[in-house]
Amino acid sequence: MKIFYKIKEILFSYFPLILLYFLSFNSFELLKEFHNLIIFSFDLQMILIYFYVLKYPDELTPGHIFIAGIINDTVIGIPLGTSSLSYLVLSFFTSYIRNVTIRTKMLVEWATFIPALFLANFVYFIIINNFSNLSFYYFELLRNSFFTFLFFPIFYYLFNFLLKSNSKIKD
Amino acid sequence: MPDSRDDFIIAIRYALLKKGVKQKFSLFFLILLSIIIIILDRSSLSVMLPVRSVLNDLVYQAVAISSLPGKSVRYLSQVTHQHFTTYNQNKSLQEEIIKLKNDQFNDSFLKTENKNLKKILSLTNDRFLEEDIFITAKVILDQESPYLKSLLINKGSKYKILKGMTAFSENALIGTIVETNYLTSRVLLLTDLNSKIPVIIQNSNINAILSGSGNKRELILDYLPDQFKLEPDQIIFTSGKDGYLAAGIPVAQSYLNKKNEVVIKTIADPDQALIIFVTNGQFHK
Repeated sequence: MKIFYKIKEILFSYFPLILLYFLSFNSFELLKEFHNLIIFSFDLQMILIYFYVLKYPDELTPGHIFIAGIINDTVIGIPLGTSSLSYLVLSFFTSYIRNVTIRTKMLVEWATFIPALFLANFVYFIIINNFSNLSFYYFELLRNSFFTFLFFPIFYYLFNFLLKSNSKIKD
Repeated sequence: MPDSRDDFIIAIRYALLKKGVKQKFSLFFLILLSIIIIILDRSSLSVMLPVRSVLNDLVYQAVAISSLPGKSVRYLSQVTHQHFTTYNQNKSLQEEIIKLKNDQFNDSFLKTENKNLKKILSLTNDRFLEEDIFITAKVILDQESPYLKSLLINKGSKYKILKGMTAFSENALIGTIVETNYLTSRVLLLTDLNSKIPVIIQNSNINAILSGSGNKRELILDYLPDQFKLEPDQIIFTSGKDGYLAAGIPVAQSYLNKKNEVVIKTIADPDQALIIFVTNGQFHK
């Protein structure tokens, strides 16, 4: 029983890292399983990075974000470093928000997610347009960003719930 | 006013340079590293090519393993669905076998007649066959990213796959090779925005360019004559005008959609492609 709790504790404490790397390897593969829901596709990596950098920066360090971005670029087939830079810009903006905010509320964090998402996607857009010959699915990117923003509260409460469960296990 | 500006600069500097307890590199260093990697990748230096190739091979192998649970779920649902539809299929297949057996008799007669007529006219079918490259590969990952519609296959330069080769699924063209590594390759699907091939429309002399639309299986015909109206159920073949693809390979078919509009769809479904054939363009059945 102790081993079971130990495994559970390790899984919970490394949850953001496991999820981040898993999504980098399989993000779009997972969406394919739900063809009818592809219209609601969203970027869970962005939500994950924004939430953990904002709330628990020690759980998701920039080094891991950088590596996850490189893996993501290799899997998708876009210029190396594109996702990394986009995620790191998101992390930078989120760190800035964390530094200048005194009291945090879900609604405020949700609202500040808009400029963070905009900035990260803007960097993505600039690199793809200037450093590759790929055409761009502008509408899909816009739709993806919209649903990423829309689904943020669901994952906000889900991640909070998981973190609370984790602290209960530790206690 | 100067105070607020100082606060802003301090907050930015703190966000960029501060290292946490578990943090080994600052955000500033990693952002700089990302920019250097992007520039090096873009400059296509000779050093970067093997690095990228090794990285691709490693990541693709890891992806193939990590996507196994997802694939198993898909496989299980397919098996269950197949189980329930097999009985009805079996019935209709039996009827089809009887019909096909009758057709086979007619075919063999026509074949013999054709052979004899060709002999009389001194025509032959045996061209290019020795020069053809025909490689069978397994799809290890099918990407439907918002930026690139592509497949990853488990054969690379080790099996003499080269950039620009064509990929087929069930005798229909599905895309071209755009990236080769030692053990893996990437196939750019016809449905991708970047895919453009010269085609000819069935029962007409109309030439056009078939482009991907980014949608699931839909394609677009560019450079059609102004008066030309595409009819439903017309097959679109490669015209071979690019000098690489053989002429007459079936690529797409026109359909009537629910809104009574004529749309073009790929003949092969990239989602269903598990095994694909890579050739140098001269594909023979």
